Amino acid sequence: MDGGLAHPRVLEHTDRDPQKPIPQEAEVTAGCRVEPGRSYGFFTDTTLCIGCKACEVACKEWNNLPADNLGMTGQSYDNTGRLGAHTWRHVTFLEQDARATSMPPFQSNWLMMSDVCKHCDPAPCLEACPTGALFRTEFDTVVVQQDICNGCGYCVPACPFGVVELAKEDGKAHKCTLCYDRLKGGLEPACAKSCPTDSIQFGPVEELQRRAEARVTDLHEKGQPKAYLYGTPGAPGTGKGLHHLNAFFLLTERPELYNLPPAPARPARNARPSLLSGLATIAGLAVAAALVGVGRR
Amino acid sequence: MSARLPNTVPQDWQGETYHGRPVVKASSFDWKVSAYIVMLGIAGSAQVIAAVARRQPGSAGLVRRARWLALAGSMVGPLTLVQHLKTRSRWFNMLRIVRPTSPMSLGSWLLTGFGALSGATALGAWLGRRWPLAGRVAEAAQGPAALAGAGMSIYTASLLSSTSTPLWAAAPAPLAAQFGTASMAGAASALALVQRAVGEERSARRLETLAMLAGAAELLAKRETESRWRRAGIAAPAKEGAPGALLQGGGTWLGLLAPIAAHALGRAADRRGGRAGEVLPELASLAMILGGAAMRHGVLLAGNESACRPRDAFRVTQR
Repeated sequence: MDGGLAHPRVLEHTDRDPQKPIPQEAEVTAGCRVEPGRSYGFFTDTTLCIGCKACEVACKEWNNLPADNLGMTGQSYDNTGRLGAHTWRHVTFLEQDARATSMPPFQSNWLMMSDVCKHCDPAPCLEACPTGALFRTEFDTVVVQQDICNGCGYCVPACPFGVVELAKEDGKAHKCTLCYDRLKGGLEPACAKSCPTDSIQFGPVEELQRRAEARVTDLHEKGQPKAYLYGTPGAPGTGKGLHHLNAFFLLTERPELYNLPPAPARPARNARPSLLSGLATIAGLAVAAALVGVGRR
Repeated sequence: MSARLPNTVPQDWQGETYHGRPVVKASSFDWKVSAYIVMLGIAGSAQVIAAVARRQPGSAGLVRRARWLALAGSMVGPLTLVQHLKTRSRWFNMLRIVRPTSPMSLGSWLLTGFGALSGATALGAWLGRRWPLAGRVAEAAQGPAALAGAGMSIYTASLLSSTSTPLWAAAPAPLAAQFGTASMAGAASALALVQRAVGEERSARRLETLAMLAGAAELLAKRETESRWRRAGIAAPAKEGAPGALLQGGGTWLGLLAPIAAHALGRAADRRGGRAGEVLPELASLAMILGGAAMRHGVLLAGNESACRPRDAFRVTQR
C-alpha cells in the first residue's frame, strides 16, 4: 500500500482510535522511541530559530498554563520576558547593531533562542529540594511533584539559570517537566513537536550531542565560524560541578547575549566550606568561653 | 574550571546583558526567615554556652536559663519558619526525606534533633529535682545538644551560600563565620541580660566578655566577606539602600562597634565607681542582639537584590 507522505509507522495503525496517538508516536515525529532508563533532552539549535514562538504556545496549550503577560516589553519581539512558573519555553530576541550588509549566514544579526529548563546533571534545584518534590524521572529529566512541594522556595535561588519559580496562585514551584506525561505515552514533547524549523530537537541525549557536534562542524564549513555548543560535557555552561545539561544549545555569540551564564556553578559545593568554617568558628568561641570562665561566679 | 569559549566569539565580556533582565531568580525569603535565623542562632549558641559553663562551680543558674532559652528558641523559631512556606499545611514534608546536598533538608533534621535535645536538657533538669533519672537524661543530652546547637548557629549561612544568588554564594566560608560569631554574641548577650536581671552580675560580666570576643571575631569575618564581595565586583547591594543601612548602620555600628565600646566604657566607669556602669552593659547587650538581627536581615535582603542584577550574576560566572 502506498502511504504517500505518511510515515510507515503510521500505516501500521490505520484502524486505531483517531482520538488517541499511535504507540511510540515519537518514532514518527522525532525519529526515536521513548524508553524508560535512557536520558532524554532537547538540542536547541539557535541558527534555525525563526522566533515564531510556536514552542511557547504549544507548551502553554499542552500544559494548561495561564497567560502571564499580554503587554509589550519594548525589548525587540520578546514580549514573554522570562521563564517562570507559567512560562516553560521563552524565545529570546536580540537585535544586533551590525549593518545588514555584513550579516553572516545562518540567523542574520537577529539572535533568537528558545530558552527552557536545562534539566541539569547534577540538577541544583533537585539537590536543594528538602521535600523530595523535585526528582529525577526514568527519562533522566527533572520534575516537580505538585502533590509534595510545600512552597519552601529553596529551588528558586538554587537554579543557576533562573528557571524555577513559585506560583502565586497555588504556592508551589513550577517549571518545565520535559512533558513527562507525554514521554510516558511515547509522545515527543509539545515544544519540539511544534517547532517548524527543527530548531528544537528532542531525543536521547548522547544522540543529540553527536548530532549537535556534526551540526557545528557543518556550520563552520558553511561559513558560520562562531557556532559552538553550550551545555555539552566540557563546553561552556558546564564545569564547576555541573557535568552537562540535558537541554543544551547551539549559540553563535557570547552566552550573556542569550541571558545564559558562561560558567554556572553547582551551588551545593559551597555547603562544605561553609559548614566547616562555621563549625570551626563555634569551636573556637567555645574554647574562648571556657578560657573566659563562662559560668563561674 | 569551565571550558573556554571558542576563539571566534569575543573572549572578554564587555558587560552586555539580555535587555538588562535578571539572570537568576531572587529567593522568596523575607523577615520571617531572618527572624528564624536569629532565634535559632541564639538558641543554638546558648546550648554551647550551657555545655561549657556546666563544668564551672556555681553555674547551675546560668546553665538552667541557657537551656530554657534554647528550648524557647527551638519552639518559637520553627513557627515563624513555617509561616514562610507558601503551602504551610505541608510543613511536615520537610521531614519526608534526607537530602545530604541540601542544607535546608539537613537543617530541618538538625532543628528537629535540636528541639528534642533542648527539651531533654531543660525539662530533664526540671523534672530531675523529683526523679533523678530525668536529671541524668538531661546531663547526657547536654553534649549532643551543644553539638546540634553549634550546627544551628551556622547552618543558615550554609543554606544561603548553597544557592546561585551572587552575594550569598561568593563568600561561603567567611559568611558562615560571620553568622556563627553573631549567634554566639547574641546568645552571650541575651544570657548576660538575664544574669543581670537575676542579680548574678559576675556571671553576666564573663558572658559580656565572651560577647565582646565574638563581636571582635565577627568584625574580622565581616571584613573578609566584604573583601570577597568587592573582589568579585558584586558589593554594591550590600552598601546601598535598606540592606546597606541594615548591614553597616545596624550590623556594624549598632551591633558591634557601639556595644564593644559601651562594655569597655562601662568597665572603666565601674573601676572608678561611676554610675554609667549600671546601664551601659544592658544597653550594649541589647544593641548586640538587635545588631546581629540587622546583620542577618541585611545579608538576606542584599542577596535578594543581588539576584536581580544581571551583571552581578555574570561577573561571578565568567570562569
